[in-house]
Amino acid sequence: GVFAHLEMLESRAYQAAVKQEEREQQEEKLAKLQARVQELRLQRDELRAKVDLQQKRQLGKGGAVSDPAQPSARAVLEWKIKSVKATLQLFYLTGISGKLTKRGVCFCISTAYEGTYLDSYYLDLLAKPEVQIHRHSIPIFIPLEQIAKKYLQTDIRRFLSVLLDHLNAYVGRRYQADQLQEHFSDQIEGTLQRNSLCNLLVFNYAVSSKSKTFPFSVRLLYGDLCCSLPTEVVVSCAPDAPTALAEAAAAHSELFRLMALHKAFRSFSSAEESVD
Amino acid sequence: MDNGTCQVYEDEIQSLEEEIKLLAEKYEDSQQESTFFSEEEILMSKKSFQGEFQGESKGHESPSDLKAQLESLETDLSFLMKFTGIRFTHHSKKTVEKTKNRTVRKHRLSGNCHSLSFQLEFQLLEIQNKEDVSAVITDLSIIMESGEDLDVSKFVSSTEERGDLLTFFRSLSSYAEWYEHRRCTFQHFKVR
Repeated sequence: GVFAHLEMLESRAYQAAVKQEEREQQEEKLAKLQARVQELRLQRDELRAKVDLQQKRQLGKGGAVSDPAQPSARAVLEWKIKSVKATLQLFYLTGISGKLTKRGVCFCISTAYEGTYLDSYYLDLLAKPEVQIHRHSIPIFIPLEQIAKKYLQTDIRRFLSVLLDHLNAYVGRRYQADQLQEHFSDQIEGTLQRNSLCNLLVFNYAVSSKSKTFPFSVRLLYGDLCCSLPTEVVVSCAPDAPTALAEAAAAHSELFRLMALHKAFRSFSSAEESVD
Repeated sequence: MDNGTCQVYEDEIQSLEEEIKLLAEKYEDSQQESTFFSEEEILMSKKSFQGEFQGESKGHESPSDLKAQLESLETDLSFLMKFTGIRFTHHSKKTVEKTKNRTVRKHRLSGNCHSLSFQLEFQLLEIQNKEDVSAVITDLSIIMESGEDLDVSKFVSSTEERGDLLTFFRSLSSYAEWYEHRRCTFQHFKVR
């Protein structure tokens, strides 16, 4: 009786204490968070004001006339470092950038398709005893050794130029196939087959006109590895297809030869729309 | 007082921290873009560090680190300019838009490749993806010194249309080399 009752009271008191402690911890946590929010809000508002003032000054509008104090030597050097870094980054846009290393130079080769920059690759060269490739991230299906054998020793600029042509063309072909799959997946039937070098593409597609769909199959071979347009195009339709379709196949074939894959699709997709 | 309120505060903290980071970067960018120091000022700053007190506040690099860093960067730049033949004589940029994942900057760039000079203006959009940064050029405008040449102007306008800055530089480089080679050859024959 009594002991049991005492135990029960003890246990109740204990649970109440635990709850009280939890509540206090929670309140403390909340108070800390609140304080942090206030601190950050203040910081944010100060920065906003700073940026606004800066913009006003740059536009020549009002704002306090504060002649910036004579900049410290440190500030000048830090500015120059940022400036040189920015110019170095520009070289990335030209296709060849890099930095000197203890034993040679590490080039960074950038690729792009029209205005979109794509993969970049590095090529770590040693200068002595002769120019040689130390490390690189060039994909294995690019004939790097062949190109190096031909040009690396005699004309390093030419070597880089040829390598760049191969890489840019590869990346360009891959980009076209990717764009096709991304934007015209509803017209492609089955999977688009391609090899790692992306110089052989085989797929089936359908063009619809007047609520009928016409299937075509196409094989694109890019014989020139430095080119992102195909050298051989075969577009075929069903053998019993009407002549109009055969004519369309021939027209498509021409388009694929002349322009990028996804652009060719765009062009005959919109042509179909205008016919309807 | 519950987890719900905690979460609300934590969300606001995260969003404030992001905003602060963005504003700080915007401020830095703008400072950098609107400042200019001449070569003499830079030279003087390099020299003045020699006498300066070594015990700078922590969190900053030492003066000798800064000088070494600048020299290394300038050596790299000088090498690239010599190797590629591309020399940038003037570069200005202006940050037009900056959000968490997107930065858009307007660039104005002049330079030459061997003896051919160019002036470029373009907009560069950089998008932060999960793994890397993707870059896209828009609004490309190219002015070339030998712009009256029909082939050059055709090349320039098709490159501009496609925003194909990379091809512009690649072609400029090989054309300039050929042009230079031809000029040297003619010189050679003239002397004879």
